[in-house]
Parts: sequence; structure tokens; C-alpha cells
Amino acid sequence: MIEHGPLLERLLAGEFVCPISDESGYRHLTNEETREEIDTYLRPLNRRLASNEDGSVYFLAWRQLNDNARDQLSRQLGDTLNSLLPLLEWLQLVQEALGRDTLAAPGDVLKPAEFSAKCEDNQSLRERLERLATDSFFGSQSDQLDAQVKQVFKRLKEHGYLLQPHSERQVFVVTGKIDYLVDLVRFIRDEENLPIEEGSEEGSGAQEALL
Amino acid sequence: MSGGEHALESRLLKTGSERLALLGRHADVLMQAYTRDEVPLESLSDSALRKLLAARILWRPDEQSGVKLAPKVRELIAEMLADETRRHVNADVAETLELIRALVHSYREARSRGEHWRLEQQLMRLRQEVDDLNGRFADAIDSLWQRLNSDFGFVSQLNDKIRENDRAQKQIARLLDGLALIDFDELIELVGSDGGLRKLLISQLQQQLSHHYTSLREVQRRLIELMARFRKQQARSRLISGMAAFMREHPGFVPGNYARRSEVPGLVNQAAPLSAAAAPALDRNLDSRLLADLLHQLPQPRHTTQTVEAAAPAQAQESSLAAARQQALKQDVEHFYLSVIDQPQAEPVSALEYLHASPLEWPDEIWLFQVISEYQGLPRSDQKAFRLKQQESQASQFNHLRLIHDVELQLAV
Repeated sequence: MIEHGPLLERLLAGEFVCPISDESGYRHLTNEETREEIDTYLRPLNRRLASNEDGSVYFLAWRQLNDNARDQLSRQLGDTLNSLLPLLEWLQLVQEALGRDTLAAPGDVLKPAEFSAKCEDNQSLRERLERLATDSFFGSQSDQLDAQVKQVFKRLKEHGYLLQPHSERQVFVVTGKIDYLVDLVRFIRDEENLPIEEGSEEGSGAQEALL
Repeated sequence: MSGGEHALESRLLKTGSERLALLGRHADVLMQAYTRDEVPLESLSDSALRKLLAARILWRPDEQSGVKLAPKVRELIAEMLADETRRHVNADVAETLELIRALVHSYREARSRGEHWRLEQQLMRLRQEVDDLNGRFADAIDSLWQRLNSDFGFVSQLNDKIRENDRAQKQIARLLDGLALIDFDELIELVGSDGGLRKLLISQLQQQLSHHYTSLREVQRRLIELMARFRKQQARSRLISGMAAFMREHPGFVPGNYARRSEVPGLVNQAAPLSAAAAPALDRNLDSRLLADLLHQLPQPRHTTQTVEAAAPAQAQESSLAAARQQALKQDVEHFYLSVIDQPQAEPVSALEYLHASPLEWPDEIWLFQVISEYQGLPRSDQKAFRLKQQESQASQFNHLRLIHDVELQLAV
């Protein structure tokens, strides 16, 4: 277990472990034996190892859901829901600003400077960024574009969605926690039966075939 | 070999090289035609146009339409540029097989008649056809790999990538169908006992085709994987924009509290963070030595030396006395403030009147000074609760010095 010390510490601190945030740690966790060892160790702490459906990201869950754990989970869920819309809007903004037709995915490299430059040239993006940055989740106090972008990236890093490989360089990498967020959104949609389409354009494909 | 055949061959060679040279001479115009729909005629002379049409490098679909690049030339350019948007996959194996059968028959005839030169010609054409067939598969597979490895980078939109992937998968299906048409039992029967033909059409072709078959299956597998990834990306993107739109439209939306369910869903069960803290402990000898070493390694704190002066009791007494008096004054002023708060109707209270009415014995000036400084020492928010009015007069008409005679304190309501 000694060799897993640093990994355990990260997990206990509430971090999400994915191939981007901790490559070797993640590799260890893909081994079932290691997972069992870690679970045994976590038992007295009332915690267990958990992962999302794809197994692309690992984190710690409560083993026994006592009242305290439920209280904590309710609070946490509330926090997550409060930050959900700003996070989704950020994802959309990145996608549009960088002219991509896919969402930011684990391993994608994002540069605040590039992002600022795109927003600077486009009034609508600029306004959306401004609204987003001053949202209480991101909490920017500045009216300067660069400072706003910096604050947004800083908060995303604090929340584990982004990783900054070199502290002196303004280059960020998207982590696997984004996968968790997407899974959570899908879960909420399914649980609440929200009228949100996800599947491919089967309908229009069939129409094309008919034409 | 007859003289007539010689002449034919040399004429073919001459015309062929002349027409190939046309490609080089008009390369610019032809490339412009490749990127556009029609050939820009203004940059071509009449005779050049005639030659290009005669060589079937260009063609005119009908009288009304402009001059266009011949399909074969377009294909050739696409092939040379590895231009994946236009590269064409020709999987027409049936036609080639038909040709091979005909060539084998004609080869056999030539052999039975002892026509040596025709025999050679037929064998060469057979070899070319086999090479062609082989080359077509190799080209198609190369083109498919190129597209796959670039993640269909030649189109930027995900929808286009999905369509291109679909197209590539259909091409593979056609290529595999083409491969299935080649029946080696039939070929074995066709070549009979001829060693040269057997080598060319059976052992060599079989080896090459089985290699193509493996490659095609591999590309197909990878294309399907990539397609699944494209579809997943598309689904994620739609999900996120759908949810964001829904939440914007329904600002009051609150999902159920999943944490209160009897079965808490795995995804929302995320334990609170714990920090594994540690502090220096001295209960182990070995560690103590290490800690001592660490302590020695700490940078020396830079204290300025303080001279310890001999105590001077009288002085100390006096200063502590002053501090005590200051403290008493402050307390009395605070009582004054409290009495202002207690005033019914929030009437103003004169500081001097209060002092004179009370048993306190502070000099007027010191009293007023402390009342003012107490006010100024209050936090801004508390200051707003009081109104301090100074009764003052100008000391002399020659300067702006003003004398304060009294202050009135009032609760600001």
C-alpha cells in the first residue's frame, strides 16, 4: 500500500483521478487488485473507490450513507447544481469561441490568451463572457477581459476541471472531471425526464434517404 | 516481329509522349480547372484547346456547357495530391476478371499456334492487369488509412466527418464485395498447368489479396470505432446545449434531492474531502534527531538585538498612571455616548453640559477633545448612527482659525 500513498492522499482530498490529472495513479486504479486493496484501506474511513460509468475517472464515495453523509451530499449536490449552468455555458462558449463543433474533452489544451483574443473580436462572445465571469460561481470583480478570462480559468482549475501543467505558463488541459459533469447532466436529464435530445439525427437521416 | 508492328509501336510512343507533355505545358490551367468547375478558356489558345480536347484531357459535356477536366485526369490529380475529398475508389473487380479471362484464353491460343510475339504481349498485359487490380486495392486502402489517420481532417464539421466516415465504410463494403468475386478455384482451373500463369494469377495474387483483405478489415474496424467516437462527441455536445437551454428557460428548475433517496445513485455519492495532516512529533528517538537536523537547517531568523534596559520604577509608575487615566477618560466618554443613545426623542446632548452635570472632574478641553476623537475612532457604519455638531466661532477676522466651544451629540434617526 505504501506505493499508493500519494494516490490515496489525492483521493482522500476529494480529487478526481483520471489519465490527465494523474497518469500513473489512474493506471494503478485500472488494476482490480489495487482497487480492492485501496477499498480495504478506506473501509474504516467509511469511504470506497467509485468511478463514472466509462471508468474514465475515479473518486471516493461514502461506503455507508449515514445521516451525516446524506447531509453532506445534499449540500454538495446543491452546490453542484448552482454551478451547473455557468459550467455548461462555459463549455458552450469555449466550443463557439474556438470554432469547434465538439465539446472540450479530456486532454484538450486550452490557452486563455487564444480564448481572450477570440472574445475580443466578437461582441456577442465578449458579452457572454462578461456575464459568465461575473456570475457568482466564477466571481470576477474586474471589467477587464483578460482578468475575467484569467479568473474563469482559475476557478475551473480550483474545481478540478482544468489542470495547469506549468504554473508559470498560461496553458491548461481539460481533465476527466468533465466526463463526470457530462454524466451527471445525462443522469439528471434521465431522472427528471427532461425533454432534451441527445441521439444522432436519425430522423433527418431517414428523411435524406427518402429524398 | 513485323515492320508494321514496329511502326505502330513507335507511333504510339510518339503520340503518348506528346500528349503527356501537354499536361506539363498547361499545368497551371489544368490545376485551375481542377479547383473550379470549368476550364478558364481565356488563358488557352485555340490550337492548345483543340489538342487538349483531342488528347481527352479536357472534354465538353454538351454544346452549351463550358469545357471541363476529363474525369480520369481529375482522378489522376487527386491521386497525385492525395486529395482525400476527391480521391476515388474503383472497386470494379468484375470487369477486370472478365478481362483476365479473355487474356488467358487469347494467351492459350497464341501458345497453341506458336505465335511467340503475341504470347509475350498477352502475358505482359495480364501482368499489367494483375498489377492494376493490386494497385487499385492498395491505393484505395492507402486513401482510407489517410482519411482515418487524419480523423477526416479535410472536413471541419462533425456532421461532415460522420458523412465521410459513412462513405468510407460503404467503399470498404464495395471493396470487400469485389474481393469476394475473385474465386481462386476458378482461376486454378483457368490457368491449368501453365507455370508462369499459375505463379502470376494464383500464388502471387492470392498472397497480395489476402494482405489487402486483412488491411481492409482493420481499416473497417477502426472506422467503426471512430464513428462511435464521432457519435459520442455529437451526443455530448447536444446534451450540454440542450441542458443549458432548458436551465435558461426554467430558472427555477430544481431536480430531486438524490441524496435523500433510500438508494443513493452512485454518480452523486461523492465523499467529503479529508486532509491527512501531520505535525512534528518527538516521541521517537530516531525522529527527534531528524527533526533537530531539520531545525538546524532552517534559515536563521534575523532578530535585531534588543538591549535590556535597567528598570526604572518611578518612570514606569508614571507612564502606567497616565495610561490608567487615559483609560478612565475613554470609559467616561463612552458612558456619555451611551447616555446619548438613551435620550428619549433622540435629542442632542451638549458634551459640556453633561460634564458639568456629572460628578466627573475632567478639564473641559480634554473632555471635548476625547468626545471628538471617540467619534472619529468609530467605524464608518457606526459613525452614521450619530450626528456630531460643533459649536464654534472664528478666532480672528484675519485668519481661518476656528475655536470649538462645545459639541453636541445626537442620535441620527
